[in-house]
Amino acid sequence: MSLLGLVWQWFMDPQHWQGSNGVPTRLVEHLHLSVESVLIGAVIALPIGIALGHYGKFGTVAINISNTGRAIPSFGLLVLAFQVFGLGDGPIILALTALAIPPMVTNSYVALREVDPDIKDAARGMGYRELAQVLRVELPLAVPLIMAGVRTSALQVVATATLAAFVAGGGLGRYIVDGYATQVYQEMVAGAILVAGLALATELVLAVLQRALVPRGLRLLKAPTTRRAAVFKVA
Amino acid sequence: MAAGVFLDYVDPWINWDWLGSHVPLVLATLWQHVELTAVAVVAGLAIALPLGVIAHRSGSLRLAVLLVFGVFYTIPSLALFAALVPYTGLSGTTAEIPLIGYNVLILVRNVLVGLDEVPKDVLDAADGMGYRPRARLLRVELPLAMPSIFAGLRVAIVSTIGLVTITAIIGLGGLGALIYKGLIESFHTPLVVGLVLSIVLAVVADLAAAAAQRLAVPWARAA
Amino acid sequence: MNRRPLWMMAALAVAAIVAAACGGTPSSSATSTPSKGTLTVAGFNFPESSILAYLYGKSLEHDGYKINYKVNLGTREVVAPALESGQIDLYAGYAATDLEYYDKKAGEATGDVTLTVQRLNNHLQSMGLVALNASAAVDQNAFAMTKANSQKYNATKLSDLAPIGNQLVLGAGPECPTRPYCEPGLKSTYGITFKDFKALDTDGPLTRAAFASNTIQVGLVFSSDGDLTKLGLVVLQDDKHLEAADNVVPILRQQAATDEVRAVLNKVDSNLTTTDLITMNSQVSIQHQDPDAVAVAYLQQHAYFA
Repeated sequence: MSLLGLVWQWFMDPQHWQGSNGVPTRLVEHLHLSVESVLIGAVIALPIGIALGHYGKFGTVAINISNTGRAIPSFGLLVLAFQVFGLGDGPIILALTALAIPPMVTNSYVALREVDPDIKDAARGMGYRELAQVLRVELPLAVPLIMAGVRTSALQVVATATLAAFVAGGGLGRYIVDGYATQVYQEMVAGAILVAGLALATELVLAVLQRALVPRGLRLLKAPTTRRAAVFKVA
Repeated sequence: MAAGVFLDYVDPWINWDWLGSHVPLVLATLWQHVELTAVAVVAGLAIALPLGVIAHRSGSLRLAVLLVFGVFYTIPSLALFAALVPYTGLSGTTAEIPLIGYNVLILVRNVLVGLDEVPKDVLDAADGMGYRPRARLLRVELPLAMPSIFAGLRVAIVSTIGLVTITAIIGLGGLGALIYKGLIESFHTPLVVGLVLSIVLAVVADLAAAAAQRLAVPWARAA
Repeated sequence: MNRRPLWMMAALAVAAIVAAACGGTPSSSATSTPSKGTLTVAGFNFPESSILAYLYGKSLEHDGYKINYKVNLGTREVVAPALESGQIDLYAGYAATDLEYYDKKAGEATGDVTLTVQRLNNHLQSMGLVALNASAAVDQNAFAMTKANSQKYNATKLSDLAPIGNQLVLGAGPECPTRPYCEPGLKSTYGITFKDFKALDTDGPLTRAAFASNTIQVGLVFSSDGDLTKLGLVVLQDDKHLEAADNVVPILRQQAATDEVRAVLNKVDSNLTTTDLITMNSQVSIQHQDPDAVAVAYLQQHAYFA
């Protein structure tokens, strides 16, 4: 039987949809690792990027942090986290969060910088105080680029979470690592399909979220900067 | 969270003795890393440039190229390396095929964006001056697309350097082999050395690419 | 517009990169005498296999061969096809487990090492491969618990686990659920059905960390590990003799198995003992000496069995 046939059979086998090594379990594990990392990363990165962007401070650092961030090999970071903190989801999430932070810092910094200074002046003139100005004027305008940063992070994290299997993590990467160790190709391919599918789904969900968050007026303007948002392949 | 491995031997994060006596090993892995990266980036560019130029002209081809390579891009590199082994063996070829594929997507996108952004007036002026299509491409459009292409090159280079470490699973890895050795032998030093050198290599390569960009396209705004 | 300098620069840059990439490769530490040929020696993804790979490789180097090493290559499922297809020439196998791999789990392995190797060669013959003489050194799968758990569950032998299997998590490399001497064997020979299986590594740091955090209660270790006592692990007795003769045996391509290569490898194997393995393993796992340094030291100590 061809490989594709075997892969089809793998997906059709009910055994693969139940138990601790079943697709639902692994999918949930993968999502758990990814969502937690991106959320924690966002909670840390967005306020920092937004604040730096609003005040215009430490620009070089903010912009270059994502350069340095992408330079860190995700595989090495996961192994390091294991050697320092041991087994479990905690160290893996720590490593993934570290990878998720840089793109979000850079993008939110740039997003806030690109808000038209005239608008900021107008807001100040209208009597907005600092925090209100940020929240009600600048942030809505910055959403497209901030979301681009979140999407970049999310995709990187979903891809890197497959490597967690190297350090006894769960998730969809298990199918790839275990399939390779036992040379059961259909398991490997099934795992690849599942992760690719998850990545595409993540992209879609976040695209919808972005649409929901961008103020209608902005949506009508096509922001050219979003096209340049480069998605780095880290895993 | 459990404590780390519980051996009595106090394993320092860098054992300088080990490092001193293993310089050839470290250099060999560094060299392998540079080799794998260079081939992937150069080959990726060699494919992406002509492909991007042709796709720029044809809307349907453009869609097809972006779709095919885009889907390829979402497949985790680990899966591709592992899945190719039965066909191309535990060799550099197995490592390069996915790496080149990813780079083609990154670079083609940037070639297309770069060509898209050439102002229409410039194209009109070139036509008006008598440039034939091929000359216009080589002497007007591509040079103006350089900033975007260089931006893509930097992304491709840093991405590739990170992905090469994952090829450790198929017996290669470059500096990733040191990381893998550190994992399997519960040994900190090769892990730290591999990790630090990968980062240094990526930063240096990125800076070098930025410098090359400034040399080649001095009029471009720093990306 | 004069674009020539730009293209020249780009072309030069590309040429430089390609030249650098294809150009000098660092010279390996080969002997300066003309070589008798080049062989590629591989090892599985655990330290003992690296040690054995270097033992074989360094003795062949000493004899004048040039050796490429591919250690930490992967599981047998990865290494064996590489041998078949000629990407590697030699690896250090374990008689019974290798037989079970090549006979497609027909269960031909026994406790008799000579018979096991004979049957192994029957299968290898048609693939262009051959197994040489087995060593007296043995490394079998062994299942261990922490001392604390062993006392808690009152388990000293594997048959003690049968009634309590559903309370225990088994940890081993991902290949364990498909290996006759691993999970399936425990089930069929001892009737143990575990609560869960956790894919870790082949007797490596992940397994040890899992023991430490009680993520697993039973784990696969190797009978020749050097650090079991140190780690507070107790090996459960294999009272129903699930494990068969897992003596170290070199498996190589018939093409590479010249009389001289056979002589060198057989000399190493006939002198290697299980105690030697345990000692070398502990040097690597406890003292963090390098597998190749440990192998060379051993060979030098024995004057390369000249």
